[in-house]
Amino acid sequence: MKLDPDKKLDILEVLQNLEHYRPRRKGWVWRKLVPEQTVGPFVYKNSSENLKNSLPLPAAEYFSNIDPQCDLIITTEIASGRFEDDLRRMRMAAWHGADHIMVIRTTGQSHIDGLIEGTPEGVGGIPISRKQIRASRKALDAIEDEVGRPINFHSYVSGVAGPEIAVLFAEEGVNGAHQDPQYNVLYRDINMHRSFVDAAESKKIMADAGILQLDGAHNANATAKEAWKVTPELFVQHAVNTAYSRAAGMEAEQIALSTVPPTAPPAPKLRLDLPYAVALRELFKGYKFRAQQNTRYMESDTDEATVSHVLDTLISRLTETDIQSTITPDEGRNIPWHYNNIAGVNAARQTLMGLDGLDELLDIKQEGSFREQVRELKERAVLFLEEILHAGGYYTAVETGQFVDSGYYPERKGDGIVREVDGGDCAGTVIPREQDYGAPVCSHFGQNRYPEQDGKPCDDYGGCTLCDPAKIRYIDEVDDQDNVMQRLKKPLAEREQGRLRPEVEKHGDGVVCVTLFIPDEPHTAKQAALELALHMGLQNPEVINQRIMHPAEGSLLEIKGTVDLYIDKNALPAYSQVTLLTDEDIESWVRPRDLHIVAATVGEDEHTVGLHEILDIKHGGIEKYGFHCHNLGSSVSIEQVLDKVEESGAAAVLISTVITHADIHKQHMRKLARLAGKRGLKNLLLIAGGPRIDERIARECGMDAGFGHGATGREVASFIVRRWREQA
Amino acid sequence: MSTLDRPDDFETRRQHLRGLSDAQLHARFWELVQRISDPLVEEARTHTSPGIERSVLLRMGFTSAEAKQLVDRMHRQGLLGHGAGHLLLQLALRKGLSVRAAGEALLKGDCWRELKP
Repeated sequence: MKLDPDKKLDILEVLQNLEHYRPRRKGWVWRKLVPEQTVGPFVYKNSSENLKNSLPLPAAEYFSNIDPQCDLIITTEIASGRFEDDLRRMRMAAWHGADHIMVIRTTGQSHIDGLIEGTPEGVGGIPISRKQIRASRKALDAIEDEVGRPINFHSYVSGVAGPEIAVLFAEEGVNGAHQDPQYNVLYRDINMHRSFVDAAESKKIMADAGILQLDGAHNANATAKEAWKVTPELFVQHAVNTAYSRAAGMEAEQIALSTVPPTAPPAPKLRLDLPYAVALRELFKGYKFRAQQNTRYMESDTDEATVSHVLDTLISRLTETDIQSTITPDEGRNIPWHYNNIAGVNAARQTLMGLDGLDELLDIKQEGSFREQVRELKERAVLFLEEILHAGGYYTAVETGQFVDSGYYPERKGDGIVREVDGGDCAGTVIPREQDYGAPVCSHFGQNRYPEQDGKPCDDYGGCTLCDPAKIRYIDEVDDQDNVMQRLKKPLAEREQGRLRPEVEKHGDGVVCVTLFIPDEPHTAKQAALELALHMGLQNPEVINQRIMHPAEGSLLEIKGTVDLYIDKNALPAYSQVTLLTDEDIESWVRPRDLHIVAATVGEDEHTVGLHEILDIKHGGIEKYGFHCHNLGSSVSIEQVLDKVEESGAAAVLISTVITHADIHKQHMRKLARLAGKRGLKNLLLIAGGPRIDERIARECGMDAGFGHGATGREVASFIVRRWREQA
Repeated sequence: MSTLDRPDDFETRRQHLRGLSDAQLHARFWELVQRISDPLVEEARTHTSPGIERSVLLRMGFTSAEAKQLVDRMHRQGLLGHGAGHLLLQLALRKGLSVRAAGEALLKGDCWRELKP
């Protein structure tokens, strides 16, 4: 399967022949680092190989569109609820530099005692099934060819079907997974014996398949009432899972600790989070670190979430980090929207590129209170371990509520999570192995009459699925209603017809967001905004963020709702489709001809920057093609513009109009058209530009073309040359 | 039973750790962790579960639905301690069948009496 950057991902092609698809590799892949790499005008200290196809950061246009890639793996977490929609999101994220795609598992799958098959729809994530994984891996294999970098695919080996999911992941080429029995115990209330016994088998399978493991320790500081106080316990949770994983056969470099800075402003974040980050890296030297961003304190304001992310990423850069996970800034208010996946990835990339080479500039102070804080955290963790042993071991310590207590250990608040040793989901399901116990398969943990030492344990019947993938049995769908083909019917039919609907979560879901400022006290402002949204045609409007500007003066509100509207793209006006000419094509046409252009910012308008961008050679403007440009400057009258046209024999006019009060921009355009007609300048090309100008408005006011925000000299020149060629 | 409130008596409790170098403190940390995880690992080495046994049958070429059916029935009959895959392979070898054919026979309800080790 091969992707074309100009074409949509063909989901039917992904689904075709899926029963025979095999992943082309197993195991985790790191980025290829390039020391002292030159990209465009800069030399980077912390960068990796460039991509073949990508979308650079927004400001890249000022630096010849370079797209340097940072040294850390960038994770994005995708959770639309439908895997077929996730695939398009994965492709978009990969183009923006994500190379670790985590699909969030649907709520409740942890408690399903067995594998899910087919492709049912999920809530808050997708059901993890063989078909879903295989389709995703197949799409990612094509996407990694398109962007030119391997992409790691990730989900969760947890819940009461953990060992089966681990087998599935090993068979289907999943590259990373969360596995931490403590997560099952504390947050899913799955029986402790069952969680730990299953985890050893899961970890062994993951170890042999080269799957990178993440733990779940960070959830303690996403859960505890006073999250910044559980830091000593986080070391303990990381350590228990790490030691257990090593015993199951995992190498240190296959274990990534999931670390989250535990505070956010207005807390003095760096002063609290940095000693924690440093102590962690010292205690766990040799292991990998996956820095996740803090979700604990996220409200609904995406700007606030983004600032916290940037601070978290600064901590990653100041310490050792291998993977930078991103979360969507809208996590506090939505199931992540696709463009917010990109926003999260870009926030991390922008920060990391901006902090390139930071360790050549700064050192963390090693004397004084900082060192004492680091030492104190470690000592508190050791005391925590001593109490576990004193209590009689891990299970008893959990039963006495030692974990996720919001006291700063050894302080205790008596609010820890309590789980009974013989309680929880699937209690009593752990069975002692008999003397003759056997498991004739590879990657099995523990006592076994089929040892791995002498040949393969599966030799007696010709190999298990891990040795012979042809033996894997594939179930396509089990529900004839709740499956991908049923869900695709409507969107594919609409796509065929050229219908375009807005979307953020699922294909064509019609969800839109509007921002309003309402000048009244908060309660009234909120009610008024919801009423206005209804009048605007939004169904089921909801306030997703309200920021009070002043208790009496007013609030800024963001409202989401759905619109049951589509646009037929075939009926869109033809002039909105701009095809650019190459620089050589434009220049070879313009240079030999003596072409004059008159330009000005008209009316009482002092703005000149936009026009300079279009004209000046140093901004990449049209002068470079050989046009003779007469820029009359700012606050020029329409009459002066036309006088200059007549004097120079110019064939085109460029007017810039930025001020739009009382529709003055439209008046200027109409006047230009009217007066040019009066003076008999029939062949003069009339072009207007400005942030509020677009093709439609310009044409309505009698112009030949209009260019809005972000237009380039090449676009303007392409238009002019095309039109003149047509007339010639 | 949850532990009640307790004040932060770190300064008292830390006395025995103060003299340790950072390296000694790290070593103590990992030694304690090892003592905590050892019994957990030992339990995993000597026990199994329906989830583990289903994962074994998956690796032997059965679907999730087949594995669940086989393991549930073995569990009810108190046989899982011998290992689902082991029972199946022994049955196949005794009867001269492939593992797949032996599993299909069990799924049809045949051969259950011959399954016991």
